[in-house]
Amino acid sequence: MNPIARIALILAYSVLALAALGRSSYQISTKFSEAPLAYSISAVSAVIYLAIAVALWRGLHRVALAGSAIELAGVLTVGTLGYIESSWWPDETVWTGYGSAYGWVPLLLPILALWALLVDRSRRNQRRVAPAADAS
Amino acid sequence: MVDAYLGAVYPGVLVATAVLFLAGAASLAFVRTHKALTWVVTGFYLVTVIEVVVIIGSLFSGAIPVVITVGYALAAVALLPLLGIARLGAPEAADGDPERPVLQPDQIARVDGAAAMIIGVAAAVVAWRLAEILAGAA
Repeated sequence: MNPIARIALILAYSVLALAALGRSSYQISTKFSEAPLAYSISAVSAVIYLAIAVALWRGLHRVALAGSAIELAGVLTVGTLGYIESSWWPDETVWTGYGSAYGWVPLLLPILALWALLVDRSRRNQRRVAPAADAS
Repeated sequence: MVDAYLGAVYPGVLVATAVLFLAGAASLAFVRTHKALTWVVTGFYLVTVIEVVVIIGSLFSGAIPVVITVGYALAAVALLPLLGIARLGAPEAADGDPERPVLQPDQIARVDGAAAMIIGVAAAVVAWRLAEILAGAA
């Protein structure tokens, strides 16, 4: 992966992890009983953001790919459920409204990350196949 | 202290974040301006120190919600190390990790520029949230 894109993704995920971690820590420590599902999802999202940032830094492509896919599925699921089953959500999560409270970054970031990771994987596969084809 | 934050520090932080964002954009577009960005980053560290000191002082001056205020103050500080994230990609920062991204000098300038833009926006949001909290409690 282009190193600039990789570090920019690490940075964006670190900032999101920080935001989600702060939000969920405050919500869970002060008013968890008001919306346990929403606050737990915010905490899970913080852990996922942190895991993706570390995976991108350590070059753990599969972990980053799986994390981004889970994150995208989470944003789409929670965002959609927020509209069709609003009674389930007494308070907002990081992924409510497809991440609208965060400028839709929680929706856009996993799409960008998945695209970058899949392009990178395809290139690495091609590089792996090319020497084998040359040898034969 | 609350008045000092709302009247002077908050507008000052917003100006500093705008300068940081613009210096980051300039470094992204024109690598030669990277040196100026490093000066702006140093200034931004000082502005953040002043912001946090005034916030801590505000905690003693009324019914300020402590947990969330301290949380946002910590967030303002936690954003600062991310401004230097490109240093981790410098060739001389080798740590034996073969997967570590290694950046050329022009790439370091561009990553620093992108980081400054992202952190500028994030720091402005943190300052705005702190202003909302303090204004609500005042």
